[in-house]
Amino acid sequence: MSNNDRYLTFALGKGRLANKTLSLLEQIGITCEEMKDKDSRKLIFVNEEQKLRFFLAKGPDVPTYVEYGVADIGVVGKDTILEEQRRAYEVLDLGFGKCRMCVCGPASAKDLLQHHEMIRVASKYPNIAKDYFYNKKFQTVDIIKLNGSVELGPIVGLSDVIVDIVETGSTLRENGLEVLEEVCPLSARMIVNQVSMKLEAERIRKLICDLKSVI
Amino acid sequence: MDVKVLHTPEGVRDIYGDELQKKLKLQTALMKTFRSFGFQRIATPVFEFFDVFSKEIGTTKSNELYKFFDKEGNTLALRPDFTPSIARCAAKYYMEEDLPLAFSYCGNTFVNTTELQGKLKEVTQAGVELIGGDNSDAGKVAADANVLHLAVSALKAAGLSDFQISIGNVGFLKGLSKEAGLAPELEDAVREQISNKNYFGVEELILESGIDKEKAEGFMKLTELYGDASCLTEAEKLITNEQSKKALRHLQQVNSLLEEYGDGDHISFDLGLVSKYNYYTGILFKAYTYGVGDAILKGGRYDSLLSCFGKDAPAIGFVIPVDDLLSAMNSQKLFHNEKQQIDLLVYDEAMQLEAVKAADALRKQGADVMTSLYQKGKDINDYVQYGYRNLIRKLYHLTSDGKIPVYDLADDSPDGLPVDNLELSDLIGK
Repeated sequence: MSNNDRYLTFALGKGRLANKTLSLLEQIGITCEEMKDKDSRKLIFVNEEQKLRFFLAKGPDVPTYVEYGVADIGVVGKDTILEEQRRAYEVLDLGFGKCRMCVCGPASAKDLLQHHEMIRVASKYPNIAKDYFYNKKFQTVDIIKLNGSVELGPIVGLSDVIVDIVETGSTLRENGLEVLEEVCPLSARMIVNQVSMKLEAERIRKLICDLKSVI
Repeated sequence: MDVKVLHTPEGVRDIYGDELQKKLKLQTALMKTFRSFGFQRIATPVFEFFDVFSKEIGTTKSNELYKFFDKEGNTLALRPDFTPSIARCAAKYYMEEDLPLAFSYCGNTFVNTTELQGKLKEVTQAGVELIGGDNSDAGKVAADANVLHLAVSALKAAGLSDFQISIGNVGFLKGLSKEAGLAPELEDAVREQISNKNYFGVEELILESGIDKEKAEGFMKLTELYGDASCLTEAEKLITNEQSKKALRHLQQVNSLLEEYGDGDHISFDLGLVSKYNYYTGILFKAYTYGVGDAILKGGRYDSLLSCFGKDAPAIGFVIPVDDLLSAMNSQKLFHNEKQQIDLLVYDEAMQLEAVKAADALRKQGADVMTSLYQKGKDINDYVQYGYRNLIRKLYHLTSDGKIPVYDLADDSPDGLPVDNLELSDLIGK
């Protein structure tokens, strides 16, 4: 099946991730001049020559766009992939945006993780937290979903520990918290829709190959 | 009035009008193709004992089944798919039969999926199961190729032309795992990463397990072994164990048969195509097309399923999620002018008896005719507009003097005038 006239659509997580992805793509000759215009209010950017389309989306929505096939390819953090549990092929570790998902809390909370006692866990990532405690540690926990500043949880006494992304750990230290356990390492990943992987096999395979050579 | 009664719950919906026409047409085309290959229709209950769909047999997680109790306290479940029910039927009614049984089905299935993901909880599935028959390698190659030929034919009959069926064989990965001596838990984890095409995930798991590099290479390459039949030759160079080799030979044999059948254009291979479930025992396949984010046909061989019901027989089948196929065909604009072909005959009060006779005469000529008493205070134009709203093809108006002006509503540029004037005697004689 040849489909030279079909656009390949990228969904990129807004922010740093998108910028780094674009500079990586530039290294393999894929550019999108339209996107460099910071004043543009456009939502979709097109490279007519290479038949590519790009759009920016909120990180957690990227796997959704890819699962439904409205984007063929997405770039998003591993944390989002784990949390959203969408069906898509995870084909490439792009190597940037490296950080860790960790259980954090005051040093005194360390003991609470040694026994199977019921504790309270605050997190922006309830699915990841649940999977870690239920399926890896076999500990029954109460999960409280928060939407930001999760570090507040143990400080104000809402929860015993938190599950959150740790990059440098400075926010934690400033608030008297520390990493208690590591859940998993994280980085930016490229995901591909299952149907696109089959129907656009050649274009996507070439893209993956090219990217591998520059990572 | 309570507006809540007008809503349907999340995940289920009404289908009506021309959308239902398209869906029924699609189902008819599929079922007709299944029938033309000798697959007999079978109907099973919408709900069964929970055990029929339990973890050991089914592929739907227990917490995604709709479960309830009967008066005696037995746990029942709405069917999440047809395969376990049909395996149960084959074991119950055809226990002694050792020649092949070919069944087809079409009906609604129910899975209690997560909210807010835009997924339907009630979907229509149409599919086939080929149970029993020759258990030898040659027998399985023949059955696999024939079922795949049916899959290609069914999608073509539905009206699809741009599609790819990707075929894998679980034997290939099983052979690799056995050779490398993977523990069952690790094998499951590796299988899941491979099914996500996550090369790095596979690499990480394999390196952690301490398997020597040479053996590991087969696993690492697995996420890249997809495409046309040349990937099978490619794969051959990577392996030494007999089970994987056998799996490749099987795929090659199936491929050369399909080439001969003329299905080659629609066939590709994917050795990384594996199922999360330990359910399939041989080939498995998925068909893809543009316009929908998921497979439009899934199937494979599951030789151990029947033994769950006490019958030892090989089996292969596939299922088409009709709603997904429909939305793919809609976005590829493969339906043309799917209007309802229904005519409406309205008549003045004095003509009650004649109207029914006239309608019967039209039905004999092959038309589908609805009759309705001309409502007082309505204009003929009201009926014309009603006809357009409800996809009526022709409007007959039987007046009390025996004249029948006919309006053609299938005509896209209406001028509101009758296209024909019949007499009652033209239809029912004097």
